[in-house]
Amino acid sequence: MAGSVMASLYRRRRAGNGVLLVFSLGATLFGLFWLAAILVTLLYNGFAAIDLAMFTQMTPAPGNAGGLLNAIVGSLIMTFFGIVIGAPIGLMAGTFLAEYGHYSRISPVVRFINDILLSAPSIIVGLFVYELLVVRMGHFSAISGAVALAILVIPVVVRTTEDMLNLVPNALREAAAALGAPKWKVVVMVSYRAAIQGLLTGVLLAIARISGETAPLLFTALNNQFWSLNLDAPMANLPVVIFQFAMSPYDDWQRLAWGGALLITFAILGLNIGARALASWGGTKSGA
Amino acid sequence: MVDSVATQSAASFVPMRTTTSEASASVGALAAEGETVKIQVKDLNFYYDKYHALKSINLSLFDRKVTAFVGPSGCGKSTLLRILNRMYELYPKQRAVGQVLVDGQNILDAGQDLNMLRAKIGMVFQKPTPFPMSIYDNIAFGIRLYEKLPQAEIDERIESALQRAALWTEVKDKLRQSGLGLSGGQQQRLCIARAIAVKPTILLLDEPCSALDPISTQKIEELITELKTDYTIAIVTHNMQQAARSSDYTAFMYLGELIEFNQTSVIFTRPEKKQTEDYVTGRFG
Amino acid sequence: MVDIAAARRLPGQRQNFGDVAFRFATWFFAFLVLVLLGAVIVALIDGSLLALRTFGPSFIWTETWDPVKQVFGARAPMVGTLITSALAMLVGIPISFGIAVFLTQLCPVWARRPLGISIELLAGIPSIIYGIWGLFVFAPFMQTYIEPFLTDTLGALPVVGPLFQGPPLGIGMLTAGIILGIMVLPFISSIMRDVFDTVPPMLKESAYGLGCTTWEVMWNVVLPYTRVGVVGGIMLGLGRALGETMAVTFVIGNAHHLSVSLLAPGTTISAALANEFSEAVEEIYQSSLIALGLILFVITLIVLSVAKYMLIRLQSRAGK
Repeated sequence: MAGSVMASLYRRRRAGNGVLLVFSLGATLFGLFWLAAILVTLLYNGFAAIDLAMFTQMTPAPGNAGGLLNAIVGSLIMTFFGIVIGAPIGLMAGTFLAEYGHYSRISPVVRFINDILLSAPSIIVGLFVYELLVVRMGHFSAISGAVALAILVIPVVVRTTEDMLNLVPNALREAAAALGAPKWKVVVMVSYRAAIQGLLTGVLLAIARISGETAPLLFTALNNQFWSLNLDAPMANLPVVIFQFAMSPYDDWQRLAWGGALLITFAILGLNIGARALASWGGTKSGA
Repeated sequence: MVDSVATQSAASFVPMRTTTSEASASVGALAAEGETVKIQVKDLNFYYDKYHALKSINLSLFDRKVTAFVGPSGCGKSTLLRILNRMYELYPKQRAVGQVLVDGQNILDAGQDLNMLRAKIGMVFQKPTPFPMSIYDNIAFGIRLYEKLPQAEIDERIESALQRAALWTEVKDKLRQSGLGLSGGQQQRLCIARAIAVKPTILLLDEPCSALDPISTQKIEELITELKTDYTIAIVTHNMQQAARSSDYTAFMYLGELIEFNQTSVIFTRPEKKQTEDYVTGRFG
Repeated sequence: MVDIAAARRLPGQRQNFGDVAFRFATWFFAFLVLVLLGAVIVALIDGSLLALRTFGPSFIWTETWDPVKQVFGARAPMVGTLITSALAMLVGIPISFGIAVFLTQLCPVWARRPLGISIELLAGIPSIIYGIWGLFVFAPFMQTYIEPFLTDTLGALPVVGPLFQGPPLGIGMLTAGIILGIMVLPFISSIMRDVFDTVPPMLKESAYGLGCTTWEVMWNVVLPYTRVGVVGGIMLGLGRALGETMAVTFVIGNAHHLSVSLLAPGTTISAALANEFSEAVEEIYQSSLIALGLILFVITLIVLSVAKYMLIRLQSRAGK
């Protein structure tokens, strides 16, 4: 009977569908489970390591107690310079793509290359800066580390700058042009202002991106056992310290590694959440 | 006789090679006593890349009168308006061929300084476009482009612009607040204030009320009637009644051609062409 | 005061100096981006010349990696990179698909944003955290529970058996591959979600209207429609997996030889670089490592270019 054929087909289809539904729920739970597992482990081991000493003492020799102060400061310094070097370059390049380069032949090429740089392995960037700077200078240095980080910052800022500037309605630009403003004023005083939230979000995301990067620093800034503010010398930084300490067999060092890991993770999560908050606050503000 | 001359000057199917005297004769036939031509459009053709968007437009905008451009969507009225302050220059592959004489000087000339031109000619757009700044800075922005004035003078200019735009009483206590916080009608009046603050002589209004409610629309129409004592105004509008209410002259366009141009009262009561009559009575478009 | 008469006398369209300067500046930095990529390629080639000249093309398939005898070959790291990435894809693609389906089709609307953001938080966790977590938590877990289980079950089967044999060390290719898979989940699933959302509702509704189940709509309507974007997203995830360093370095075991078993330790290009570069004193050693970097860069370049190309095709289709 046609009816029973249809009915059995239907049952099979329903079953197949059921499998999909269960699977996709399971997949989501799978993903969330690992997120939870990582965060829980991080919190458990990391909190055990957090104490005042971590923020006040330098990285210790193996087998001794100590802190992460030089690493924290070193990371802050190199991140700062990475942004200071990379963000303006990214901003300018993104401005070109959004405001001047609509009909330029170089624009699609720049976008393509930029996206490749965005996803390129960061260890390659480290190698590049090694060849470019470290070999020439003859030694590792914080400035090389900052340059490597800057190279990672540039594609992020280019992307967000272009996207955010493209969101500014053309009517706004035309209104400024209709008043007789020269093009650069239209861009700087109207477009940038209209997109400021988005542009800042891009910078925050860039900071979040480079905060956790280890590989590019391995061959550039290396690491420094001691306190140093010298940009021309190797500088301590959290990711490389974590790498070194975690791989070691010493308990003290491993403890500090977890503490440092917790610090970095929370900084980055905080930056990501801050970026989201900034983006949505900006959205509600300018919505007419 | 008057009618046939008017027909001849308005018809654009046959490209006319009018001499200056012929042109002013036809203009004179249209104008009432003592009216001068502020903007003269001669044999204007416009192309979006290969597409011939405006075909041999000839018309005059008279000093301190309101001229309305009407016609169905796509007829070229906004295109024509945007030629008057060379706004199309912002985009490549758009070019204008012909002459547009403002106070006797051809603004399509290659030597024309665009920024100074736009100081003379103000523009208000379809959607209100307040800059993301305070109300004060919105208006000061334009002033500061051209003049270095002491703070007190800028304050004065801003106040008088806002007064002229009938917005002063509503915003005088919140000048430092963002322009984006105003209602749609207020934002549009802000844009008008911004445009007149740089003391232009000509105002171009591109469907200024299409995004506004009827009450705001009415306020703006009243404003236009007041403003024409000082400014030559060209307004593009979809709204026939608005054109009839607010303008002195009306140009009816269709598919890139100027079909008819005359005093508003004539266009709406005894139009020359059947097409015009069909449009103004709502039979098409 | 704006002098209209003076305006008429101005000699032509003068562009502000500011305009020219600013325009040039933005162009210059955009050009710099291009130069950057070129510089990276040049630097890598320059650094690897010594190794390439010494070993020639056999560098690619030589398995030997002997710092003492100064003979190096890229086979083990290359294969390791490819295998761990393949494992990552094997784990990541179906799970990402499941997550994308759940979040776009099945999830109640109020939960969509928080869950979506949670998944994306996985992307925010820096790779070194994955690394130490992998070393201290996941690897022991694999060692105690999963790997013995696999050896007993799959390891006994005829064809796939050899893949799952050997002592359960915890660290190794399989562990690294799985961690990589978890790492790329947020990237692939977020692209899939975005792309699934571009399907016009009417298209899905007409399928539902015929009585299709959710699975049938996904498989027969949504996936074909978004095929190009999905593949592009997968390749972006692959590009990430190929280049991932820290997550892999901790758990791969750093062994420069190939074994059949997935449970054995191995190495990847990035792990080798991370572990050995600072100790590579001799020029030939360093050059070989940089040559590895060059190979990785070329592979990633190809994968990312293909991905980008596909995503551009999708965008232009959507724009029509």
